[in-house]
Amino acid sequence: MNEALLEAHIVSNLIVAALLVGAALAFTAARRSVLWSRAGRELLRRRPIALVTILVFVMVALLDSVAWVGGGGTEDAIALEQSRPRSLIDRMFAPDFKEKSYSAPLADAEFYGGSKLEHPGTHLLGTDILGRDVLHLTLKGARVALLIGGLTSLIVIPLALLMGISAGYFGGRIDDIVFFVVSTLASIPSLLLLIALIMALGRGPVQVCIAMGVTGWVGFCRIVRGETFKLRELDYVQAARALGVSEIGIILRHILPNLMHLVVITFVLLFSGLVLSEAILSYLGIGIDGSWGQMIDQARDELARDPIIWWNLFAASTALFVLILSVNFVGDAVRDILDPKTLGGE
Amino acid sequence: MLAYIVRRTAYGFVVVLGVLLLLFALFFLYAEPVEMARRAVGEKAPPEVLEQWVVNHGYAKPTWWNAEAPGDTMIADHFRSMLTFDFGRSDSDDSPILGRIRAGMGPSLSLTLPLFAFGLVFGVGLSLFVAYFRETYIDRMGVVLCVLGMSLSVLLYIIGGQFLIGKLLRWFPISGFDPSPGVMMRFLALPVLVGLAEGLGGSIRFYRTVFIEETGRDYVRTARAKGCGDGRIMARHVLHNAMIPILTRVVVSIPFLFQGSLLLESFFGIPGLGSMMVDAINGNDFATLRAMVFIGALLFIGAQILTDIAYTLVDPRVRLS
Amino acid sequence: MRLRRAGGRPGRATFVCAMLVALAACSNNPYSESDDELKVRYKTLPGPTKTLDPAVSYSSLEHQVTANVYETLLEYHYLKRPYTLMPGLSVAVPERQELERGRVAYRFDLREGMLFQNDPSFALGGEGRTTRTIVAADIAFELMRIADPAVTSPVIATFSKIEGLREFSERLQALRDETPEFAELRIDRQYEKAGGIPGVRLHGDYGLEIVLTEPYPQILYWFAMPFTTPVPWEAVVYYDGEDGRPFFKDHPVGCGPFVVSEFDKQSKIVMSRNENWYGVRHPEWKAPGTVYPSEGEAIDDELGRLDPAYVGRSLPLLDRVELRLEKENIPAFNKFLQGYYDASGIVRESFDKVVHEGALSPEMAARGMKLEKQVDPDLRYIGFNMNDPVIGTPAGDRGRKLRQAMSLAIDVVEYNRVFSNGRGVPAQSPIPPGIYGYAAEYRNPYRQPDLARAQALLEEAGYPGGIDSDTGKPLRLSFDLGDTSTAGRLRFRFFVDQWAKLGIDVEVAATTYNKFRQKVAEGAYQIFMWGWIADYPDPENFLFLLWGTMAQSTSGGPNTANFDHPEFNRLFEEMKGLDNGPERLAIIRRMRDLLEVERPWIELSHGESYALYHAWMKNVKPAGLSLPAAKYVDIDPVARARMRAEWNRPILWPAYAMALLATMIAVPGVLTFLRERQ
Repeated sequence: MNEALLEAHIVSNLIVAALLVGAALAFTAARRSVLWSRAGRELLRRRPIALVTILVFVMVALLDSVAWVGGGGTEDAIALEQSRPRSLIDRMFAPDFKEKSYSAPLADAEFYGGSKLEHPGTHLLGTDILGRDVLHLTLKGARVALLIGGLTSLIVIPLALLMGISAGYFGGRIDDIVFFVVSTLASIPSLLLLIALIMALGRGPVQVCIAMGVTGWVGFCRIVRGETFKLRELDYVQAARALGVSEIGIILRHILPNLMHLVVITFVLLFSGLVLSEAILSYLGIGIDGSWGQMIDQARDELARDPIIWWNLFAASTALFVLILSVNFVGDAVRDILDPKTLGGE
Repeated sequence: MLAYIVRRTAYGFVVVLGVLLLLFALFFLYAEPVEMARRAVGEKAPPEVLEQWVVNHGYAKPTWWNAEAPGDTMIADHFRSMLTFDFGRSDSDDSPILGRIRAGMGPSLSLTLPLFAFGLVFGVGLSLFVAYFRETYIDRMGVVLCVLGMSLSVLLYIIGGQFLIGKLLRWFPISGFDPSPGVMMRFLALPVLVGLAEGLGGSIRFYRTVFIEETGRDYVRTARAKGCGDGRIMARHVLHNAMIPILTRVVVSIPFLFQGSLLLESFFGIPGLGSMMVDAINGNDFATLRAMVFIGALLFIGAQILTDIAYTLVDPRVRLS
Repeated sequence: MRLRRAGGRPGRATFVCAMLVALAACSNNPYSESDDELKVRYKTLPGPTKTLDPAVSYSSLEHQVTANVYETLLEYHYLKRPYTLMPGLSVAVPERQELERGRVAYRFDLREGMLFQNDPSFALGGEGRTTRTIVAADIAFELMRIADPAVTSPVIATFSKIEGLREFSERLQALRDETPEFAELRIDRQYEKAGGIPGVRLHGDYGLEIVLTEPYPQILYWFAMPFTTPVPWEAVVYYDGEDGRPFFKDHPVGCGPFVVSEFDKQSKIVMSRNENWYGVRHPEWKAPGTVYPSEGEAIDDELGRLDPAYVGRSLPLLDRVELRLEKENIPAFNKFLQGYYDASGIVRESFDKVVHEGALSPEMAARGMKLEKQVDPDLRYIGFNMNDPVIGTPAGDRGRKLRQAMSLAIDVVEYNRVFSNGRGVPAQSPIPPGIYGYAAEYRNPYRQPDLARAQALLEEAGYPGGIDSDTGKPLRLSFDLGDTSTAGRLRFRFFVDQWAKLGIDVEVAATTYNKFRQKVAEGAYQIFMWGWIADYPDPENFLFLLWGTMAQSTSGGPNTANFDHPEFNRLFEEMKGLDNGPERLAIIRRMRDLLEVERPWIELSHGESYALYHAWMKNVKPAGLSLPAAKYVDIDPVARARMRAEWNRPILWPAYAMALLATMIAVPGVLTFLRERQ
């Protein structure tokens, strides 16, 4: 377990590299397609601020994902901190940038008791109950949020595409089975299903994402299935079939590309939903370590304190709000741009 | 038509069986009966008492197959008790589950029904308004306020509501419940207000999407070309045509009304089913959780069958297969 | 169109006016106003009761009801500390009698002519009966219920010291398994046919003799707990959950000062005076449990708990006790501040508002509130799994030094300051204050935080700076916790950070409580945190947690550290049968010294509870044990009604501020609206 934990940062570094490569490939592919590059430009024209905001969040998350052991610490850094992998974000804060307990933003003294701080006036967003810098924690939360949204989407989208396309395209028995699984999962209240799954799978970021994936793919699968039904009946698909193109070929060349706009819209909508449901899971004690949801849950105690401790909640809620707001703005725009039905809306 | 109803109902029953199997897998394959016993009997109970509890509650039986008595397994018990609605006793305090559900339904519904009704009226009304003023200050402010509403923690609403209305304005009691109708209003006003404020953001976002989708359709353009006023189009055509997705959402969310609200009930001291579920989650009361999930699934499946049948009645073309 | 609008406006205005008038008439009083005049005590209940069956109920939450509804043979003196037993239903506190073969016996004599509360179930014993005289057989019946496997009483192990109880239990089970007709018999007949418990002997209607197979002086404390109250068989038979009758566990039938008159598990429990209580029917007896005490600690006199107006008065003083379910702390505490609850613990979050430098804050004191502190007879500790090859006994001296170093690193004063507002007494040994064997002057040398010494010990153990000198690898340990809440994890991080200062890398493995218990059962853990609350005021109740026989790994017992030290075991076995005295004290001291060096535990702290109550509540004395306290408490309803009215005048400015904010957001919207319409 300990060993695995140590190696986790190497995996994380590799994932970052893979993501960057993937993003570059996707970008060049999109540039080549007229439809996608026009959509991209249109999006940038309509929602520049929201796009930049999202980009900032992604950058922070990436910076926090690149980590290595040792080096770069200050003289009096704790020995143990040196032996742990620290990310680029961690390295922007000194390892001993800590207080004993709560302190308000930019305060000189501790919130309770009023003893002098070790780093007076430097904690931009104050410190939490253990004296950790709230700005640091908030920045680290971005990685968790994107991890939840990203990893879960990576589970949801391929699963829903696979199930939805095979059900819609082949019909018959396969459709019956898929539809049965979908109806069964959809019948169970999703929050309860989520709780039960996490209880069964165990805690941890990957487990939580898997559980959210299992509960989340159902809705998208239905859409894909319906859309595939329609596409299958289109003339050129029928023609390709008559010409003897293999089933796989048809799916890859004619069905899948025509579903891509749905994938993008779903991803955007799914994303904010996932980040918000993690906050609810945190309330139930089964969230992911270091998430904004946990910071908000921690504030359950702090809100009722008198005098109130607001900065922890404020930081996490603001970060969450800004991210979700940007995603929503972009999502609305993407839907408008990609969905042929609403093109004439204005 | 009758054949369709029969077929649809039969399919619903098959889904119920699937749900039951899934429930069994989720709740009982991973359950640790000894720990459930410890929670029920007490932290200090000696091991032999825990074992006795496990036997008394039927968790000592073989899971799938019992060579000596084929019907005497946990899975057989599970299906038998669920399908006959004999939910048995709670794992945490041995009280009959059906009785508790009956007792908790009233308080839960008295909270969720007004919440649902007001939420629907305000949600549809406001989103229609916002969709009408698309791409103006009103729409953008609407998005900001809705997303703000969605990303704030529920707890913030609850604590803020109790603080503002119960502690400063002192209009209503901070928490509590009384089943007699006149007095009940006083206790419910605050949780309903809080629940409304909390849920409005999400539902406005949803209905706005529906309306905007409708405004993009051909008939709207036709109507506009004919010289219909925008307000008239919104109120008559768009609302009318958006009825199907709205109704679907309404029908599908009705079964959830009976489950109450987990957080609101806990914080406002309403003795409903939501608060019972929180207790069940905290107390590892699998028997109660299972019964609640099962009833929820059952109602959901029932509501779906009814909507499907209603669709076919309204529009015969829907009868696909 | 225009006309209709014009007609609509005044209608709307009247509606708004009506709403405002209605709101002005609203109040936040959650109770019926007719109760304002009565001596009703309002109490919070943090969760629903699971069972009020006295043989099963084992939580302090439920004891708030059972301790007041079920009277016992003995009870604790309300004011005296250390806790002292006095007679309850029994005429006197019995003396120990030595019998042959090392057995001992206690003989109780019940007061004659006491009645149970009125209840329809007594009609089973004769047409038209509503109550019955309490006899010794009712206590024997309850002891047999504890032994009954179908009841699943959590205290069967303790009462197995009664001669033949275990055999009775097995006989009962065997008879039920063999003959189905036997299982159909009425419960008291079943017990009769199974032959009863030989160690529970009846002498006439009112004499009861308990024979134990070994000396166990602590048994008397168990006779001050609701487990051993007289229970009428009629109630157990009648309340079976059939035909609309509740279960016995939800419908107590007892003989205490109060009866449960309203029971709604999910919202409230109401207790009213029991007119059949022996204190009410026989005030001339002046039985110790029925009059307000005349003696107590010095502090009781100071705090007005020995007010001459109360001393010697017949109990109970209240008309009614209402327990209201409040699952969340924050609303409950707010209602306390508004005067709708009479007393409250202090929510950690509100601590700074209420307590100022260890005393009541001026704001609260001005409201006439009173604050009382009390050290609870409990212990919170970090334990090591002594079976572990790195940190436990197998590691020999290395492990011991490591444990000592880790113990020296923990600064519990700081922990209490951060997490519980400085509440809690740093523990030096397992025995808390108020329990025999506690030494106030004792300072455990390994519990005074000293990083330098800890580092030196770590080096001696062969882990200089946290690096194993044998392998050159860093020392990594895991700390298991059964709490996945955010707050819970923060607490554990605190300890991990303190050990990190030594260079020891401790990983927190957060699991659900279930998984944690399972890990413990499998022995797959290194470090854990746990707590213990006293059942009765005796050191045996704490030291047995480290007795080898109770080890989790071998017997599934509560010794989760799996500490099995021959010398400690020998001393414990010697100590537990002794009466308090110099000999016992000497042994306890030797056990303490042994633990000091061996360090199977890092003792953290003894809880300190702060009770906060309003001026209209009299005679409150916090207690760490479950006492029948409701009968001693008094309420001044007139003062309460006055204060409530004074404290609950509405503050309206936030409503105006909100309206202003809403207008500010809405104005550009209205402008857009107007523009678009044109």
